[in-house]
Amino acid sequence: MPSILKVKGLSTTFSGKHGDTTVVDGVDFELGKGEILGIVGESGCGKSVTSLSILQLLGKKGESSGVIQFNDMNLLEQSEKAMRGIRGRDISMIFQDPMSSLNPILTIGKQIGEMIEIHEEASGAERKLKVIGLLKKVGIPRAEEIYREYPHRLSGGMKQRVMIAMAIACNPAVLIADEPTTALDVTIQAQVLDLLKGLQKELNMSIILITHDLGVVAEMCDRVVVMYAGQVVETADTRTLLRSPKHPYAKGLVHSASLVSNENKRLNSIPGQVPLPGQFSSGCRFADRCEYVLDVCRRSQPSLSKLDKNTTCRCWLYGSKEAVQ
Amino acid sequence: MARLKEVTQSLHAPLMKEEKNPALVQKKLKVSMFWKVWNHKRAKYHLIFLFLFLVMGIFGPMIAPFDPNKPFYDALLQAPGKEHLLGTDALGRDVLSRLLYGTRVTLTVSILAAGITFVAGTLLGLISAYVGGIVDNILMRIMDILLALPSIILALAIVAVLGPSLTNAMIAVGVSSIPSFARLTRSAALTIKSSGYIEASRSIGSSHSWIIMRQFLPNITGVLVVYTTLFIGGAILDTAALSFIGLGAQPPAPEWGTMLSEGKNYIYEAWWLATFPGIAITVVVFVINDFGDVLRDIFDPKSVN
Amino acid sequence: MKTKLLEVKDLEKRFKLKKAVFAPPSFVHAINGVNLVLHEGETLGIVGESGCGKSTTGRCLLRLIEPSHGEVIFEGKDITHFTKSELKAFRKQVQMVFQDPMDSMNPKMTIGEIMAEPLISHKIPKAQWQELLTSTIKLVGLNEDHLSRYPHEFSGGQKQRIGIARAIILRPKVIVADEPVSALDVSVQSQIINLLQDLQEELDLSYVFISHDLGVVEHIAHRVAVMYLGEVVELADSEELFRDPLHPYTKALISSIPRKDPDERKERIILKGEIPSPSSPPAGCKFHPRCEFAAEICKTKRPALKQVYGREVACHLY
Repeated sequence: MPSILKVKGLSTTFSGKHGDTTVVDGVDFELGKGEILGIVGESGCGKSVTSLSILQLLGKKGESSGVIQFNDMNLLEQSEKAMRGIRGRDISMIFQDPMSSLNPILTIGKQIGEMIEIHEEASGAERKLKVIGLLKKVGIPRAEEIYREYPHRLSGGMKQRVMIAMAIACNPAVLIADEPTTALDVTIQAQVLDLLKGLQKELNMSIILITHDLGVVAEMCDRVVVMYAGQVVETADTRTLLRSPKHPYAKGLVHSASLVSNENKRLNSIPGQVPLPGQFSSGCRFADRCEYVLDVCRRSQPSLSKLDKNTTCRCWLYGSKEAVQ
Repeated sequence: MARLKEVTQSLHAPLMKEEKNPALVQKKLKVSMFWKVWNHKRAKYHLIFLFLFLVMGIFGPMIAPFDPNKPFYDALLQAPGKEHLLGTDALGRDVLSRLLYGTRVTLTVSILAAGITFVAGTLLGLISAYVGGIVDNILMRIMDILLALPSIILALAIVAVLGPSLTNAMIAVGVSSIPSFARLTRSAALTIKSSGYIEASRSIGSSHSWIIMRQFLPNITGVLVVYTTLFIGGAILDTAALSFIGLGAQPPAPEWGTMLSEGKNYIYEAWWLATFPGIAITVVVFVINDFGDVLRDIFDPKSVN
Repeated sequence: MKTKLLEVKDLEKRFKLKKAVFAPPSFVHAINGVNLVLHEGETLGIVGESGCGKSTTGRCLLRLIEPSHGEVIFEGKDITHFTKSELKAFRKQVQMVFQDPMDSMNPKMTIGEIMAEPLISHKIPKAQWQELLTSTIKLVGLNEDHLSRYPHEFSGGQKQRIGIARAIILRPKVIVADEPVSALDVSVQSQIINLLQDLQEELDLSYVFISHDLGVVEHIAHRVAVMYLGEVVELADSEELFRDPLHPYTKALISSIPRKDPDERKERIILKGEIPSPSSPPAGCKFHPRCEFAAEICKTKRPALKQVYGREVACHLY
């Protein structure tokens, strides 16, 4: 599969009052054309910052280094103006909270229309037609009426559909969906996931799906990147990851998410908690919570090494070499 | 139990910040508020100024070169000079001495007035927010009616009823700013009311007074301190204004507002009479108000740090 | 036969809608005719989507919200008519654990003070405090040093442990847990669920476990009530319910859980439409506009909860 987006050595640092904090540290992954790639991890693992780094939406205090290769250009070297042209047209994004992502004082039609207005040339009537078409495409009933409605009149699921309509308005090559269904009810989540999957096939988009829910990953994704404490700890195709996770963290995640109890009816869990950015140890960042921890884990950090064609893992147990720091 | 112990040990969750012994941490938190203020670039000077002001209020009479009411008949309306640093007034009284004695009056009156506002306003605001419903509605409508009048007019009305004297002026100033203070307290308390820990405390079976004293108050003290500071500035101005129109401190008491009022008759012949009390009022009120703003920045977590 | 500890009969809660001053008052039925029973030592799960009234039900159980109608019977007495002092004694027996551990703790109090709050309000002699505080904090997997710290020094999972410690310090009989793990990360979720299960065994607790996460409920609950728009639509043993849901809504709900097993590609039931607003619920069976089996009767007559194969379902199909 030819890759459309290639992230290499992405590091993102935020400067603050108490010095700089590196939130994303040397992240590598590739997104194939027409592929749905999942990025999973717990809160604070850097998955959202990774996606914001791709679109350069970090604000003044964030600074990224590394390479983000998209269509023969490095996004990190693009000017703000060039990035504005890329956002929404080539790479677009939907967020977790559809409530706060829509402007409450503009009608739905106007907001989606604006997206088209920025990136394409079309007359007002053409635009309206296109917006209504989009609303129908994302499964919104009574599209003509909703076109004139304000966001607060819509339910959470409907708003997320509007966000999706907006994101696909310019047929982007890549869609980044950051926890798109976390705020939704489970029956509505099923609807929205279904919609996303259908649209992906229809428009041949590539999707980066950021989530903490391995169930969503299992239903949607072709491949998965597992992140922990700002680093990629494992990448594998979905089936391999869920069937035989390699990295101890991925193991813990898969086992605790499946809610399978062990002999004495207890859930598998990972002891302790995710370390905060800025408090990472110099060894393997998972060492303190790992049940297989070795001496070497505390001393030095393993690199992300290739296990086979599709699987990489950052762990001393799987023959990693020492990471270059 | 054995298994539970095992679980406990296996979890032995390391704290996010592993350091310091607990007693130290607690002490630090209490002291840290002062240092936060002290380390602010402007607040440090405000604190020093207000401290000096306080010292002047307490020890002013001892520093003052003369008795504030003693007339020097040989030196009527004398311009600032060697003997009388800030000059003398029409009766030959030393302006500097009167100003220093006036510091104490101003200080007591404004602090007591702000105290009245603080106690009554906090109480009304908290009750209104906590009880809610009809009580809230009635209390706040009354406050709205009172707020429709400028506080100085309200104060005038109160003094008119009680009679002109410094004590009454103080009460009037204090009472007249209760409505706005109560409203501010209420809105601060309302944000706390929706917090989960209030509901949690109720679910435990805590009494109303406990919830108000231990859950509400500590979480709005920051806001209350800021408001009170700002109200002290306002109280100084209002008291001076009442005295200026003759409804506050009565002559010959040395009060800044009264001095200003006496000085206005001689504004062309003896500029120093009105100027120095005027400057004193302006500077003190300015510093207190700016200090209030600084405190707001420090206490408000949302402000840019 | 297990003893009934808590029983809810025909519980109803209306919220008044604010309209124009002279308009006739209109009401939203947050819950409407809910009947539930909690047995000793059991975990009763309440599941449903947003707006189904599960949290309102939980709060009515403790009278944190006053029910508009119906009875909540605890150990044979109806708590809806309790006086202030009776209510206080009742709250010693029934405690609550909240969803957002951050929000449910006063940031200005130390952990020790937060945990001692129930001791103060229920006038437990000071001599017992130290013992209770240390034993309880150890029960939830933290240690004594943590007592003098402030909430912001803890992670989400640790805070939820403290929230649980506060709830069990008086050694209550019932704990109402409202979405206790939904704000937590997956790996931490299982820690807390394990803890709750251990405590249940250790302290003979009964739980009312409210959650939107069916997976978690399936694991922890013995019996499960499924709610939709303020009504219980199905009530059954957890195992039976998840193996063979009867009500069409339960069927859809269970089939919408994303499958974690990549090889298990089950055909999902995708419900049409949205959850109607509780302020204008459909007539008859409230689920009928979204139900694939809806018949004429469903549009007019509200189905009652009735016994079907030893469980309770509210559907005209049965």
